[in-house]
Order: sequence, then structure tokens, then C-alpha cells
Amino acid sequence: MTHDAVFIENKRKYLFCADQHGMKLLSDVMEQSSEKEFFRFEEEPDWTSFTSFLEKQKIGSYLYVSLPKSEIYQARVLAEKLGFSEETAQFIGYGENVVRVFCSRCHSINKTVEEQREILCQQCVLELSISDHYSKKHNAYLGYAAKL
Amino acid sequence: MKWTTNLKQFPYPFKGSTYRYSNNSIPMENPVSIEITPNYKEEMQLKRELLHHHSERCYQSLPHTLTGQWEIVDLVMNHLVTAYPQFFSLQKSDNEWTFHNKLLDETQSFTFGDSTTLPVEPLHFISLHVQEDLIYMMQRDGDLYLDAGQLCFPANWSLTFNLGMAFKSIHHPIPGFKEEGLDKRILQFLMRLEAGNPWERKNWSLMAGDRLDTSIETFVEWGKLRKQVTKENVGELVHLRVEVQKLFRLPRTNSILFTIHTHLLSLEKLTSNPEWLQQFYNILSELPPQIYDYKGISLYRDAVLAYLSERLESEKVR
Repeated sequence: MTHDAVFIENKRKYLFCADQHGMKLLSDVMEQSSEKEFFRFEEEPDWTSFTSFLEKQKIGSYLYVSLPKSEIYQARVLAEKLGFSEETAQFIGYGENVVRVFCSRCHSINKTVEEQREILCQQCVLELSISDHYSKKHNAYLGYAAKL
Repeated sequence: MKWTTNLKQFPYPFKGSTYRYSNNSIPMENPVSIEITPNYKEEMQLKRELLHHHSERCYQSLPHTLTGQWEIVDLVMNHLVTAYPQFFSLQKSDNEWTFHNKLLDETQSFTFGDSTTLPVEPLHFISLHVQEDLIYMMQRDGDLYLDAGQLCFPANWSLTFNLGMAFKSIHHPIPGFKEEGLDKRILQFLMRLEAGNPWERKNWSLMAGDRLDTSIETFVEWGKLRKQVTKENVGELVHLRVEVQKLFRLPRTNSILFTIHTHLLSLEKLTSNPEWLQQFYNILSELPPQIYDYKGISLYRDAVLAYLSERLESEKVR
């Protein structure tokens, strides 16, 4: 998910789903594509609208998504659920390697850089130790109480 | 809260002189998914308070689970009225059912299969009448997924975090579980579970304190007691925590109901049985560090071993 977007020829239609920065990363590919449709992500991705956008597409569409690395996984999970695969989609993540951490006390999602092992929960201020227990549904690692 | 524990009824979990993770499930002799103990009323009150005040933590369900939830209602209600007819009754006229809980003096009429006729979702509703936590695992694509559950008395895990998770991912934190291939073997075993042939197992851990609701969400409240274990209070403070886990295949949705009944017994009471004392001492002194770490015993293991050793000495003097 860290490579540049590559143009794939002869698709019936091209879908570009990205935030402001992501759209810039996809601009070269956009110029080469003929029939296209856009979905613009805001800072907090609206996954319901994204899902509806993909649902109404017909077979033969080719999908490009570009978002921060912390969000790109979720986009891939949703798109794959709707039948997009490696042959019909590209996911271009950008920025720092961000991990999402699920607070074991208040359930809020915290974002942090990959190298960090402990963080303070932004919501409840509990010191969290980041585990390797991962939830696809939450796209997040479980953060345990770091201290007693 | 002080729990009444009759030693004869306590589900003592140990066999042999060592303990390792394994698939220790056995076919059930008495195939009943629930058990009513003398603590029933106290535990139901506690469970209902938790569900009321912390519903997100204690109850979760994905929308596609409603048919399976009704299967659970059917199974559990039938077990309640068959095993405990003095406490529960059920009248059925086609799909019009009336359930009566005599212990709590409550009656609920509803249309079976129509969730709008119950005040809460079917799984939530039946969980308000049993001491067990109820977990619904759905089988699809060669895997099992935790798609719904009512969990008030977890041993340090989060239903909210684990919702929708596949079997192996749920058990990822258990040391050695993956490395030894246990996750795969147990998953295969569960997927072959047949309707009408339920299995059960006992799982154990030690805890400082006697809280049933040791959720991961409240760890900072109850976990600190681990630091307060002393030579003087260890017998009273530290408890053996045993989960009786039962597994039932739900044939209509090809899913699994997993019931967890948690029992607590203080070390003081546990060691009043000389055989249990000796066996538990052997097991704990031999337990590998990664297991007692995972079970949360590390901080007070030495105090427990010293206590058990002392009790064994005084047994010999007798």
C-alpha cells in the first residue's frame, strides 16, 4: 500500500476515491483515464457514503483509493467486501506509518506512529501499552493499561 | 460481595500434577447449558446492574445474528424448564410463548421469532435470567466468528474489542496457543461440534479479590489488588476463578452457543480440602512463567506458594 498509483488501461470506467492530498497523488493516473467518477473523503472518512458509492458501481469499474496509512486499510476491507480485488483496485497509502490503538478502558481509538510502544489515551488519559492483539473490525490494536 | 460456595458443588478444575493449555473439553454427561446456584439472585442483580449501566461493554451483537439469538432463547428456556421446573415455566401456543421466572417473580409473553415483542434483543433478554455469560459464535467460510454476546463476568477481556473477530484472532494473546498449533486444532474441533452432543471444559485462573466483573475495561480498579496480597491476607484475598464453559451446536444457523459460568473460591476454602491443597501446590510450583504471567499471577505467586507450603506443613503435623 506504499507504492505509487499505476495506470491500468482499457477499463470501462475509473473510480478515484481520495482526500485532498490523495487526489494529488492520483492526478497522473487521472489524466490518463477516460471515463471517471470521484469520491472525495473529508478529514474523518465517511465510510457509509464510501460504501454506497462503491455499491452503485457496475462491473468493469477500476478503483483507485488514496488516503493516510491509518485509514487505507479500512478502505481496502470495505472495497473487498463489495468484490473489488487486487485485479480491480489499487490502494495508495501516504504519510507516516500510523497504527490505531483501541483503549481497553474507554474504547476510543487513538492514532500513533508505529514505533511507539506506550501512549496516553486521548479520551480517558489512561497510559496504554500497545499489544499485538489486532481487530479487523476496529482496524486497531488493543491498548492495555500499562501500569497498575 | 461474599459468594456462597459449597465445596462439594465447586467445579474443581485440576487433574494430575501439571497444567498446560490443551483442548480439555469432554462430552457433557448432563447436557444442560445453564446451572442455577445458591448465588442466583445476587448474581442476577449484579448482572442486570452491569447491563444497565455499562451496556456497550456487556452486550454486543451484529445485525445478522437475530435468528441465532432466537435459537439460543429456545435452547436455554427449554433447559431452564426441564432442569429447574420448580423455578421456571414456559407455556407455548404456536409461536405465542409465556416465560415465567419464579425465582425473580417475572413473567414475559412474546411471539417467538418476533424481536419487537421483547423489550430487548432475544439474546439480551434470556441472559437476564441466567448466571452464565452467553457468547454466540457464527460459523462461515471455514471459521468461527464472535458475532454476538452478553459478557458481564469476563476474565480480563473485552467483548467490544473482540466483536466480529475470528476464533484464532480472539485467542492470539494466549501464550503458546498458536506456536503449538492449539488454535488450529481447537477450531477444527469446534467446527465439527454436532447438534445434540454438547461438550464442556473448565478453565481456571487466580485472582486477587472476589469480583466477578473483572472486565478489561475496569482493570485499573480490580488489578491493583494484586499488589495488596500479603502473607497475612493471601488465604482470604486470593481466589481460584473457575469458568465452566459449555458448547452447544445451534443447528438452524449452524452456529455455536458458548456459555460461561464463573465460580470463585478463596484459597482458604480451597485448601481446606487436603487433596486439593497438595495438587494445587504441585501445579502452581511447576507452572511455566508465561502461563502464570498470562493468568495474572506473577505479582503474588510467591505469597500464594508460601501460603500453600505452610498449610501443607501444618497438615503433616496434624
